[in-house]
Amino acid sequence: MSFKRFDQTKPFITLGIIVLAWLLLPVAVKSFLRVTFFELQAPVQVTASYVRNLQDFWADRTHSKDELIEAARELRHVYAGYEFQAQQTEAQQAEIARLEQLLRLPSNPNFRFEQARVCRRDLSGWWQQLTIRKGSNYDLPVGAPVVYSGGVVGRVREVRAYEADVDLVSSPRLRLAANFENDTHPVSYQGGINPPLAPARGLVEFVPPDIVIYSSAPRRLVTSGLGEFPPGLTIGYVARLETSTDGLFQSGEVSLDPRLTELTEVTVLVPQQPD
Amino acid sequence: MHRRWLIVFFTTLLLWSLVGQLNHYLAPLGVYLFIGGLLVTFAALRLSLRNGLIATILIALAVDAVEPVPQVGHYLLFGPHLLLFTAAHVVIFHLRTRFPREETLFALGTALLANLGLFLGLSFIYIELGAPRHPATASLRLLADLGWSQLFILAIAPWFLSLQQRALELGRIDLAEENHRFY
Repeated sequence: MSFKRFDQTKPFITLGIIVLAWLLLPVAVKSFLRVTFFELQAPVQVTASYVRNLQDFWADRTHSKDELIEAARELRHVYAGYEFQAQQTEAQQAEIARLEQLLRLPSNPNFRFEQARVCRRDLSGWWQQLTIRKGSNYDLPVGAPVVYSGGVVGRVREVRAYEADVDLVSSPRLRLAANFENDTHPVSYQGGINPPLAPARGLVEFVPPDIVIYSSAPRRLVTSGLGEFPPGLTIGYVARLETSTDGLFQSGEVSLDPRLTELTEVTVLVPQQPD
Repeated sequence: MHRRWLIVFFTTLLLWSLVGQLNHYLAPLGVYLFIGGLLVTFAALRLSLRNGLIATILIALAVDAVEPVPQVGHYLLFGPHLLLFTAAHVVIFHLRTRFPREETLFALGTALLANLGLFLGLSFIYIELGAPRHPATASLRLLADLGWSQLFILAIAPWFLSLQQRALELGRIDLAEENHRFY
């Protein structure tokens, strides 16, 4: 009888031992196991990513020569525009450097731009993350800003040997210091409103009551430059603000770019030490 | 002897990788599939306690390795999938003798119930404990994801359970003998 009772409780005793052993295990061992099991699966993820690139390549090969010539012509126009802007930027940077020297101001942080392919999108209600195909082999640091042509993508959370995980701007784990375009009041941004079958949204908080936004003219929310992100990068657009319960500040939803969920390539801003 | 949990682990890892790819393509639609319950079911229903638990712990570690570590207060809670998957395994193992566990229909029901339990457990850890600022905003998405996931399990569970059984047969493992083994 007692053996039968032991028989029935043995699974639970085993569970208790496993849980206790796991909780008592040093963090170094847990981290080692995490890295090991990630690297075990990494080839599958990376291979699938390369296969997708190959599919895209063969899909591009189906375009006719006329289409390619047309695309090249359009690119030439865009390139000419960018070339002019690059010249202007160079002149402005020289001016900034001169003023910094004159006023003895600390120089703005410089970044190295590291383009990386997205090999896995993992967007759920619990987390919103991308895995990119570059890691410590390209000296990516944890916390580095990740951007794309539409603005902020997110922040590097974990760096592995050949991959890195990026917390998306829509992730509930991501908070940023921000301000509205052409306004200096600092506000707080946090991701985390991810409705089903619709683009993700974020939340802006601690907006001073003197800022007014009309739904017919949404205002651009940009990074403030406090923290890792350089100033002026687009986070999203705010169309409406509501006064918070304490009446001191306003808060509102931030519409994020729908392209965030379809990204195939991003740029990691790797901070560089000043000379 | 090792073949039992190795075969079950690798077939489960295959499914996990395939669903990861599917989630990659579903991401722009705002849909996410979670199949934790299905990853545990076969090992808990058909293998002995030791072999089943080893397979479950390995797949839980594999899942934990690619998903973010939840932050509870100032502490990182390593292995949320490991703790939940192991608990689900033990509960299913404890109850399995009272039911026709070789039946696909029963296994399907078990997978759905286990998935529901695991989904709620992970939601509690990641939303209530991990990011408690705006839990209400996440509930609609979570409800929708749970619905898609249950439908997906309903569709693929019979195939996946047969795949695992066939893989064990190809590995020359007698499941009837395994069924009589407790530990």
